[in-house]
Amino acid sequence: MKFILNYFSSVKLAITLLIIITLASILGTLVPQHRTEAEYAMHYGQLAPLLIKLEVTDLYHSWWYMGLLFLFSLNTAVCTLTRFGPKWRKAFQPRVESEPSKIRTLKISGEMKLKAPLVQAAEKVAATLKSRHFRTRQATHEGRVSILAQKKIAGLFGSDIVHVGLLIILAGGIISGFSGMRRMLTIHEGRTLEVPEAGISLRLDKFQTDYYPSGAVKDWKSTLTVIEGEQEILTQTIEVNHPLSYQGFMFYQRNYGYDWQNPRFEILAQKKDDPDFGDQLNLGLGEKTLLSDGQTEVEAINFVPDFIIGEDGRVASRSNQPNNPAVLIEGRQQGERLFAAWVFSKFPDFGQMHSEKEHNFSFQFQNIESTEYSGIEMAKDPGVNFIWAGCILLTLGLFVAFFWPPSEIRVALEQAQERIQVTAGGIATKNKYAFQTEFDTILEDLRRDK
Amino acid sequence: MNESTLFAIAFFTYIGAAFFYFFYLFGKRENLAKMGYTLSILGLVIHTAALILRTIESGHAPFTNMYESLSFLAWSAILAYVIIEGKFKLRKAGPYFMLIVIGLMALASSPLMPANATPLVPALQSYWLWLHVSVTLLGEAFFAVAFVTSIMYLIADSREKRGTAKEGAISSEKLDSVSYRCVAIGFPLFTLGGLVFGMVWAYKAWGTYWSWDPKEVWSLITWFVFALYLHSRVVMGWKGRRSAIIAILGFLAALFTYFGVNYLLAGLHSYA
Ligand code: HEM
Repeated sequence: MKFILNYFSSVKLAITLLIIITLASILGTLVPQHRTEAEYAMHYGQLAPLLIKLEVTDLYHSWWYMGLLFLFSLNTAVCTLTRFGPKWRKAFQPRVESEPSKIRTLKISGEMKLKAPLVQAAEKVAATLKSRHFRTRQATHEGRVSILAQKKIAGLFGSDIVHVGLLIILAGGIISGFSGMRRMLTIHEGRTLEVPEAGISLRLDKFQTDYYPSGAVKDWKSTLTVIEGEQEILTQTIEVNHPLSYQGFMFYQRNYGYDWQNPRFEILAQKKDDPDFGDQLNLGLGEKTLLSDGQTEVEAINFVPDFIIGEDGRVASRSNQPNNPAVLIEGRQQGERLFAAWVFSKFPDFGQMHSEKEHNFSFQFQNIESTEYSGIEMAKDPGVNFIWAGCILLTLGLFVAFFWPPSEIRVALEQAQERIQVTAGGIATKNKYAFQTEFDTILEDLRRDK
Repeated sequence: MNESTLFAIAFFTYIGAAFFYFFYLFGKRENLAKMGYTLSILGLVIHTAALILRTIESGHAPFTNMYESLSFLAWSAILAYVIIEGKFKLRKAGPYFMLIVIGLMALASSPLMPANATPLVPALQSYWLWLHVSVTLLGEAFFAVAFVTSIMYLIADSREKRGTAKEGAISSEKLDSVSYRCVAIGFPLFTLGGLVFGMVWAYKAWGTYWSWDPKEVWSLITWFVFALYLHSRVVMGWKGRRSAIIAILGFLAALFTYFGVNYLLAGLHSYA
């Protein structure tokens, strides 16, 4: 037990671990992670099975990397704890008496003689130190007055705050790893989706895409209503970077898509030889309508959002995005097919018209309406609160450690014939130059108005 | 006056500063170094105006593409240098440091870096982006100063050991201590900006604070190297050569995080 404690309180171990973890982390950025076995085999040949076996292909979640992080945490914890007690006592229950001979061995020290009775001289020294914001303590022992002055002593504990913050972050990481969950939800506009994990239902009231003037996507927004049982709890619009948070569950705007199940088309029918003829049609898939000439019936029989003619010569959709929407309409007169035509919303002049008979219709595909669905990622991660708490401590500790330099001045006053012999010395592990200046100024002040 | 004119004026002012610093290095007249310092500050002011103008014109933080982020890095580097030189009187580091800044400015103005402000994709529209990038780059700027002073340390140290140190040269001891001070300022900034704000932003945008993507891992590596620097120094008393070498490696890791990851490795962050 003792051995383990000693071993894990060693800073040498910390340095060794830091070097190993750093090298391992570099390895993980050189070997691509999470690829297929075939890809590894192609890249690394005979080495591939070894890499996979050693989990180099999922390095940051491998047992040995986790093991290293665990050892490192243990190291930090033990190291911080074993040093804490002595450090605390040194800071808050210090020994006040000091021997002049010991003070003289400090790196920063000085001596002088004061012309005043011992007690007044001590008062004066203490007052000067206090005026420089030192906290002072005094002790009298065998005719000698010792003064211990401390400043910004909390700065000693910056490193401990950092280490505790770090441990909390690592603990948060473990909690996230074990109890975090994520799931993609797809909700159509106007519909409600049950989310059993969170015990609620979500309704997508509105989905909206904002564009820049250039046409690039600026933002996606989903207006969501949280429903518990029958009750609407809250309505909030989420967008990228602005998730909805509800009872520990987070809902992120992730992606979106179109639901091509029930599109509606707005089509303008015209006649080449009759400028006055213009029928505004509104059709769904499989719907028929009679034109105002009273004899031509038009039906929308097929639709693709991203028109392409495949290698087999058949019409297909390249993607689910409305990049090149096209609708196939068919015209009949007295039950007999007159024409069939693909019309394109992006290319109004371009049409593929197969006509069985002479006719002079032309069509413009003006608009499609379809519902969009919103891709929302649901996540619950009880680890994050630890992460943020740890981050706050980590940052706070760093600023304390580096910008709140502690210092200590020890003074011994002794009667030496007519005068008082003053021996002063100081310790500051950080900011030595500034401290030296301050120390010199204090001695200077004491000498000046003796 | 538009942003690119101001940028160019700042660039030339930095070049002027570098000239004076180099003349100082050979001519040894204090006035020359003072001119260098004054021009650096003047350049910084003009550069600041350029960045502000850029922000107003584009309506978003001035570091969303490589041109902007290089310009901002150069700006942070000058800021860090002006602070450190003001505090420690390190004129002799001036010429070398200005070379780095001029390199960054030249890279930013090269035709390889498209300067057009492009509209931000949705994930980048967040004030955490401002905080994340600006504080990280500021921290890295202090690492850059530590890099220069560490190299100067290595040279000064070997000269002192061989007894060939020149009259009036900065002592290796001072260079060592200035390097430490730079790391001590850079480390908290880098931790706050690079790791903490990075995690907050990732959580807001993607719902995970950490996803082990190469850029994140390389920030962590940089952080580990500087943690190594601090512990070996504060607890084990390593100073001098070993410290200097670790600081140099740390800055190289930061540099790789900044450039290498974007061009050599792929990941979530590869928009920049
Ligand atoms: C990456 C992880 C770590 C970070 C970021 C970290 C951070 C720090 C910081 C900022 C300081 C103050 C340095 C200074 O005052 O200049 C410090 C001091 C220290 N660290 Fe760590 N630390 C880490 C891991 C460890 C580990 C694993 C150990 C265990 C051996 C350790 C032991 C110490 C000790 C003994 C000190 C000096 C304490 C004092 O008296 O102030 N650290 N650490």
